[in-house]
Amino acid sequence: MSLEEPTPDDGVVETLPTGGDELEALLGDLAVGREEHMNAPGFVIRPDAVQETLRRLRDEAGFDHLSCVTAEEREDRYESIYHLTSYDDRTREASVVVPAPKGDPVSQSAEPVFRTADWHEREAYDLIGIDYDGHPDLRRILLPDTWQGHPLSQNYDQDRPQIVTLKEWENPLADDHREEEGDTMYVNIGPHHPATHGVLHVKTVLDGEQVVDVDPDIGYLHRCEEQMCQTKTYRHQIMPYPDRWDYASSGLLNEWAYARAAEDLNDIDVPEYAQVIRTLGAEFCRIASHMLAVGTFALDVYGDFTAIFMYAMRDREKVQNVLEDLTGQRMMFNYFRLGGVVWDLPEPREEFFELIRDFLDDLPEALEEYHDLITGNEILQSRTIDTGVLPPEVAKSYGATGPVARGSGIDYDLRRDDPYGYYDELEWDVVTEDGQDNFSRLLVRLREVEESAKIIEQCVDLLEDWPEDDRTIQSNVPRTLRPDDDTEIYRAVEAAKGELGIYIRADGTEKPGRFKIRSPCFSNLQTLPEMSNGEYIPDMVASLGSLDIVLGEVDR
Amino acid sequence: MAAGPLQSQVLLPERIAGLLGLSGTVGQIVGGLIGAFIIANLLLVQTAVAGPWAKRKITAAFTDRIAVNRVGPFGLFVIVADAVRLLSKELVIPDGVDRPAYDLGPLLVPFSALLGFAVIPMGNGIHLADPETGVVFAFAASSIASLGLVMMGYASNNKYSLLGGLRAIASNIAYEIPLIITAASVIIFTGSLQMSEIVAQQAEPLVSIAGITIPQWFAFVNPFAFALFVLANLAEVGRNPFDVPEAPTEIVAGYQTEYSSVYFVLIYLGEFIHIFLGGAIAATLFLGGPAGPVLPGFVWFTIKIWTFYLFTQWARSAVPRIRIDQFLDVGWKGMLVLSFANLVLTAVLVGVIA
Repeated sequence: MSLEEPTPDDGVVETLPTGGDELEALLGDLAVGREEHMNAPGFVIRPDAVQETLRRLRDEAGFDHLSCVTAEEREDRYESIYHLTSYDDRTREASVVVPAPKGDPVSQSAEPVFRTADWHEREAYDLIGIDYDGHPDLRRILLPDTWQGHPLSQNYDQDRPQIVTLKEWENPLADDHREEEGDTMYVNIGPHHPATHGVLHVKTVLDGEQVVDVDPDIGYLHRCEEQMCQTKTYRHQIMPYPDRWDYASSGLLNEWAYARAAEDLNDIDVPEYAQVIRTLGAEFCRIASHMLAVGTFALDVYGDFTAIFMYAMRDREKVQNVLEDLTGQRMMFNYFRLGGVVWDLPEPREEFFELIRDFLDDLPEALEEYHDLITGNEILQSRTIDTGVLPPEVAKSYGATGPVARGSGIDYDLRRDDPYGYYDELEWDVVTEDGQDNFSRLLVRLREVEESAKIIEQCVDLLEDWPEDDRTIQSNVPRTLRPDDDTEIYRAVEAAKGELGIYIRADGTEKPGRFKIRSPCFSNLQTLPEMSNGEYIPDMVASLGSLDIVLGEVDR
Repeated sequence: MAAGPLQSQVLLPERIAGLLGLSGTVGQIVGGLIGAFIIANLLLVQTAVAGPWAKRKITAAFTDRIAVNRVGPFGLFVIVADAVRLLSKELVIPDGVDRPAYDLGPLLVPFSALLGFAVIPMGNGIHLADPETGVVFAFAASSIASLGLVMMGYASNNKYSLLGGLRAIASNIAYEIPLIITAASVIIFTGSLQMSEIVAQQAEPLVSIAGITIPQWFAFVNPFAFALFVLANLAEVGRNPFDVPEAPTEIVAGYQTEYSSVYFVLIYLGEFIHIFLGGAIAATLFLGGPAGPVLPGFVWFTIKIWTFYLFTQWARSAVPRIRIDQFLDVGWKGMLVLSFANLVLTAVLVGVIA
């Protein structure tokens, strides 16, 4: 099944160029400059050499995962940064920096090399205003089509009135047919629809009952989370925001993404005791999130509020009770601090441990019930097996991560591949399924709950025996953090939905100069057309459910 | 075996006319109207209990919840509250709907189901009419609902409604044939389409064990046909796992997407009466109609149709919906073949034995 450790003695991994100098040699003339990011070497290239560079890095250096694209307008240039890494070895990272001139910010599109660049570059165009040459469909993604200006560009006029005319929204009511003579039907699924899990709008073209084309339209829940983080100080003010990205129970996992990036940026150590507590809390969040995912997926397939949805909510509720005891909150935890956590476990500790142990004792039986009700159900199997197929190479090209990637047989989990927290000290497995279909993604989630339970159990054992005089919950962190100007870092953690990355560029002040969120849901949602085209409407709905998106994180 | 006369030969209209001292055509008309009024109200009351209250309670029981318990004993007054709430909502008529059809659709659905009850013997003499073609009439009346669904689907000017209407038709055609073919296998036993005759024949004893006589209910005689009939019935009334015409997570609410307020109530009313009609036909054809020990016939009849209702709600809480193509596969390739096999087998057996 899954390997305990990445295999460094594989031979293949060893021969791939990884160090900055090796990669520079590989790129040769393509690299016109060199930067050092805290997580990876950065190579400055010409804006018309993006495809060639990325293709060379992908094919000859094994950088097959375009994790994120960060765009920014600087004082003297526009800049797109392609954060590359590898599915086989997450610790290998490289940044490709593409400056574009101020007057005419044109940069070659990376879409032909990595499909995932499609949406990321659309977002960069939408918010910053970089024009990606050769992009197949460069239109706004988060903001309405009629929006004037690019809000993250430097000369953006915030006071300019934005008028979203009715005409903007008229389109969905008009075009029934793709062509005059066509016999397809155009249907808007969402933004208000029982199965879109929030305000997602899927522009769907149907041929009878079958899906010809789907085009997810996002941005209805865009709340400028990145900009908000840029206006707040590192030390305390940013931490509440991550809770609001993936608000469906994944709060601590999101907080960890920011904590990890900011701690590495500022060189802050986290006490071991706090790491164990973080690991414990994060895995509870993962269970809660997967419970919700399984429950709503069942809801999408069953079609009604059936028993399975209520059971999943019931078990999620138990998890939330634990998290409430730990953090004082049920969803918007704000529990992590840079350098640790805000407070120790609740007193009396024995009661808290007992609560957790009770939950863990009941969990196998509860999971058995899920398997009886869902995965063992013949109708559900006939609905989900071999539907919404996502082959691994397609998933990689789209930058799919988390249960979506693992359901396609990609053995990739940051908790093991790029260890953080206390994960590398604990015994657990990365769950993968080879089915590539909706059923596999469901199975992966259910099995991951078991693995999370294993992790929690070990954390509780550790915490119970932790010596009383060594319970440091926070390291000593300066009141004001001012990382050096032009320090850049991209760090990710394994959130419930996949790789949640944060890019921060420090500008010498106590606030980030650029704060970019790499949302796993954003990348995963991009695969929907691949899974759904040619399938039936119910399968499209099931595929969407199996992606387990939270629109708060997709739109940020 | 049943307390009181199972099937009084006197039908409800005649009895009412007799009580009022009327005779002839006037008596028939007045008796018929009053009888229809009584039967319709009996059903509407049961639907009122089934819809806003029992449905919630049953689903809650399946999902470990309590459900309505605030208004009145066991939350029963929520029926009144819900009726007021639903009827006082704004009736939104979207632009571009096809007006007469849009308004007629929701009326056809409940009334077709009520019409079907005209020939159902409910025990204790509650039986409005007993034509010789009773079974055919019941099926024909309930099939009118399909017309209503199509009208709603096409007239709503909404693509989800259209898809729902198309699915409703597809499902009705695919499952009505096996339903009626299976019913025909009962007719082979009885040799009569008349409801009272079918019920009377089922009162005959099948076997007698230790003093307990088991009647010749066709569910005992041919359980296979009964199972087929119940399944096809489930599809016919559009409940899980065959609720593809509504399919909330796929096509919002299918044909009823654009209906609000009183039209919404009418459609829901129609669906519940249809479930009861489905149960009533199944009870009449396979479970001896209103027959049963100790309790009066009408009580037994009510128990039987509510059992079917409970069954539909159970399926709704536990079984996933199948996909539209699988749904039609099951109908055309499975149920149809099985129902014909059942019919032929029954015909051969009856021919050999009789």
